[in-house]
Amino acid sequence: MDAAFFERLKTLNKRYVLFSELVDKGPDDHSYGFHFSAKDNLCTSNFQTRAGSRILEGYRPPFDATPVRRMREAGGFLLGKTNMDEFGFGTFSTNSAYGVPRNPFDTERSCGGSSGGAAAAACLLDGHVALGVSTGGSISCPASFCGVVGLTPTYGRVSRYGLVDYGNSLDKVGLLSRSSNALSKYFPIIAGPDPMDPTSCPQPQLNLGPVEIRSIAVPQEAMENIHPDVRTAFDRAIDTLRDSLSVSVEEVSIPSMKYALPAYYVLATSEASTNLARYCGMRFGAKGGDIALHFNDYFSRVRSANFGKEAKRRILLGTYSRMVGFRNRYYLKALAVRQTVIEDYGRVLKKHGMVATPTMPFVSPRFTDIERMKLIDMYRADFLTIPPNLAGLPHISVPCGYADSMPIGMQLVARHWDEAVLLSAAGSWESSFKYRFPEAIR
Amino acid sequence: MTMEPEVVKKVAGIARLQLTETEITEFAKDLEEVLDYFSMLDEASGVEEYDFNPVKIQDVLREDSVGQDIDSELLTKRMDTYEEWVRGPKLV
Repeated sequence: MDAAFFERLKTLNKRYVLFSELVDKGPDDHSYGFHFSAKDNLCTSNFQTRAGSRILEGYRPPFDATPVRRMREAGGFLLGKTNMDEFGFGTFSTNSAYGVPRNPFDTERSCGGSSGGAAAAACLLDGHVALGVSTGGSISCPASFCGVVGLTPTYGRVSRYGLVDYGNSLDKVGLLSRSSNALSKYFPIIAGPDPMDPTSCPQPQLNLGPVEIRSIAVPQEAMENIHPDVRTAFDRAIDTLRDSLSVSVEEVSIPSMKYALPAYYVLATSEASTNLARYCGMRFGAKGGDIALHFNDYFSRVRSANFGKEAKRRILLGTYSRMVGFRNRYYLKALAVRQTVIEDYGRVLKKHGMVATPTMPFVSPRFTDIERMKLIDMYRADFLTIPPNLAGLPHISVPCGYADSMPIGMQLVARHWDEAVLLSAAGSWESSFKYRFPEAIR
Repeated sequence: MTMEPEVVKKVAGIARLQLTETEITEFAKDLEEVLDYFSMLDEASGVEEYDFNPVKIQDVLREDSVGQDIDSELLTKRMDTYEEWVRGPKLV
């Protein structure tokens, strides 16, 4: 991390828009062991924390989020805050007030979302590890589109203290890097109980090491509406697992997968609409102007002027889902469906070590194609990443093929708290499949 | 289902959002489309017992103790303050 590295980093950021805020210069001493980045919804004391939103412009937290603090204490140097969809609302990182990150394989295409900047940084910076956050697939999706490895841990494994909430019952802090080795090295640093986040406290101890996987399950519901290129790459990957790694593969059915997507959007938007109520022009970021106004007008004015379109849309959806008369039909039903999804996965994972699917149904789309997509099709694009996220199950996305030079991801899902299985499996996978990367900076 | 602009306006009011007429029309169409999709949940079977979190969460309580982790000056630095008070819009 010499001065030349930081010059190269600035040039890189101009081209790929990875960071919403980047460090001015490198450290004065050489005591740092590695560099890392934090998604812009993780609080950091020396950078703004804006979560991709104009409503948080100027917000500089007086503390570090626990995962950031732990990385610093382990000798990490924080390079900056990575670009993201506003509050995590998106699949393509196109909903940010601070620029749209560009895919390292093709700058006319998306990095995926919402941890798009994190995935691109993991891809383009040699030896880098990026802190990402997933609510419904925001680590797996960009990992798949940018051709890196992305680990989303069990809900509660990593403290959410200092995370700008999207959906409290869904948010998970994880890691992205070029290899599972790096994830195995840094994951134990951020994992573990934290008294500041009670949901992280009852977790079993993390013990990483080799784990033998004898069988995996492939749900037939995951094979519908997949682009032929993705299907071909995934089928080849399954053949490799079977032939080279001696894993038996069984096709199974997880019927509730079909309902996971609407259930997720009901729960996520319901939680988001309450979480975002705190942004009213008083405590954080943007101010509302004239305090002589009645509070209703003051709050409404600052919120309307500073929330982006997708944020407004999700606030409306969530507010509607929680209204009297719709609460039973949508919100409570979604909770019941989530439990069914957990139980369905539980049944399959009792017999098999992991569940495998493609990560995304297509390779990263061009920005011009994204502009033409219908809203519901954008939401539906997450149909493979949402089920394990809804169920709080740990999962990892690894590159498993390439089509038109663009990477394709395979998603592996394990039982609650079994991150060791995923990291071990990803390590084995890397012994039989070689990842491709664009030239990185060192 | 049909989403009337009046309903969108009402929901926006509850959510403290002032929408333009164009936004109301656009969001009514969007909400209609998404809620139609949500209605798929009507046919889903759901279990009777469920929780609000995907894993079991225990109540974890800390000892009550007097403390100030973060300097209050830092916390209020970017807020609109008068002497030691936070200033806000009028409530009545």
